Amino acid sequence: MKKKLRIYLPFASNELKRQMAYKGAFYLFIFISLFGSFIQYFLWMAIYGSAENSVLGGLTREEMVVYIFMVYVTGSVVMISISDWVSDDVVKGTVAMNLIKPIDYRMSLISRAMGQVVYRFLVPGVFIWIGLEIYKVTVLGLSVTGVTNVLLYLASCIMSFFIYVLFDFCFGMVAFFTTYIFGMLMAKEALLSFLTGQLIPLSFFPEVVQKVFDYLPFSSMVYTPVMIYLGKYSDAQLCFVLARQAAWVVILYVLGSLIWKQVTKRLVVLGG
Amino acid sequence: MVKKVKRYFRLYKVLISQFFKVILQSKVDFLMGLLGFFLTQVMGIAFLYLVFEQIPSLQGWTLDQLIFIYGFAQIPRGIDHLLTDNIWMVAWRLVINGDFDRYMLRPMNIFFQVIAEKLQPDALGELLIGAILVVISLGKGIVIVDAGRILLFVVSVLAGALIYTSIKLFFASLAFWVKISGPFLQVAYEMANFAKYPTEIYAKAIRFIITWVIPFAFVAYLPASFFLKQEVSAAVIGIEYMIAVVFWCIAYAVFNHGTKVYESAGN
Repeated sequence: MKKKLRIYLPFASNELKRQMAYKGAFYLFIFISLFGSFIQYFLWMAIYGSAENSVLGGLTREEMVVYIFMVYVTGSVVMISISDWVSDDVVKGTVAMNLIKPIDYRMSLISRAMGQVVYRFLVPGVFIWIGLEIYKVTVLGLSVTGVTNVLLYLASCIMSFFIYVLFDFCFGMVAFFTTYIFGMLMAKEALLSFLTGQLIPLSFFPEVVQKVFDYLPFSSMVYTPVMIYLGKYSDAQLCFVLARQAAWVVILYVLGSLIWKQVTKRLVVLGG
Repeated sequence: MVKKVKRYFRLYKVLISQFFKVILQSKVDFLMGLLGFFLTQVMGIAFLYLVFEQIPSLQGWTLDQLIFIYGFAQIPRGIDHLLTDNIWMVAWRLVINGDFDRYMLRPMNIFFQVIAEKLQPDALGELLIGAILVVISLGKGIVIVDAGRILLFVVSVLAGALIYTSIKLFFASLAFWVKISGPFLQVAYEMANFAKYPTEIYAKAIRFIITWVIPFAFVAYLPASFFLKQEVSAAVIGIEYMIAVVFWCIAYAVFNHGTKVYESAGN
């Protein structure tokens, strides 16, 4: 265990340092992605303004504000796109180097992603979170989120992170088959923003569709932790959704290992 | 003069034939890019559908009307995206690398060379969804159709594309002074997303910015409302046209001035 830590920790700390070096680009990224949240905010306020009921999809207007911004915080921290790195490695051929070294390629990617998680949590995440809590109490008149909910939320987020990166690793394997992954990445992002509940809470979908979502890993990525944060689950449901997240971590881990074995068998790298 | 125009046309034709070769050569990549942009827009529409399960109308706009606005907004965006995508490269790479040199050396209009270097097939995804949504809206009979409006539709789409190009060119040209202007361009370009919805929903400051400073409201929401509502005056299209011309002149002047202060990357 100690040895493992010694091998993979530098991947995380290097990534953290790299992110620190390109602050400019990062602030910009925050700024642009917050645009999206503000558009959603205004849109939802108009929607609640036009609605006859004060509760839509199980959420009140105030809860929706929390939902929009917590989804942003959760998504930006948890969804680290490691498939970008995979495609980079494949296109440049550096993936060969990773195969020679006595390290697990997937573990090195995940460690690197952890470095980014730390950075993203520190730079925009935690400040928007605190800002939201202050806004919640002073303007919306809700009470501060309880300690248990926050702890459960964080635990759920950790599993969300693993579900996302393990899934994304499988997805990244596409890079071995096509060189133009940009389109695929866009398609993935579009689909995920919908399936994870980033665009609209999953409770807005028809019953049947929600049933289908129960069997897919995507709702466990963002929707579950945010709903935990909002305190929308009963104790029994809470146990269930957390267990489901744990199950997805295991399933996607095994699936990733299988695909990786198949892909590396047929890999051809030109030059070096 | 006529000779010159003819020469440019001939060059552009050569370029377009290259473009089709690229598509044929990498069909999978082309389809993927198309799918990516297409899906992004489809999700936006699905979002509206789900929301309208809960509400009858959004500040007086029906679902059908919002879908028309959404689709209409994609057409000028797609046209600009298809034709002038290489402007992004000026902002991100060409100036800082010194690759801009090659445009300076040839005896041809520099802006023409920049945009003629690349056609972006991904844009067809946006054009496709825009066209589909507009046609569906026409089928539903919510769009007002008369001779004047058909003509103004074309004018409006072209003026809208020109506004997009101007905004892109303006922010990309800043690269001549700051070397990399990609980030500024990206922020400005993303502002367009605000104009997919009726601008009345936003706070006053945001509404002011997207109407008059970075006038994306005149590309999407405002002209689209002219085609939906009898009481909206055709002056909207007139103003859009004027904005397009003014912004183009400014952007092109900045670009031209920029090429004069351009210094190549030395070694």
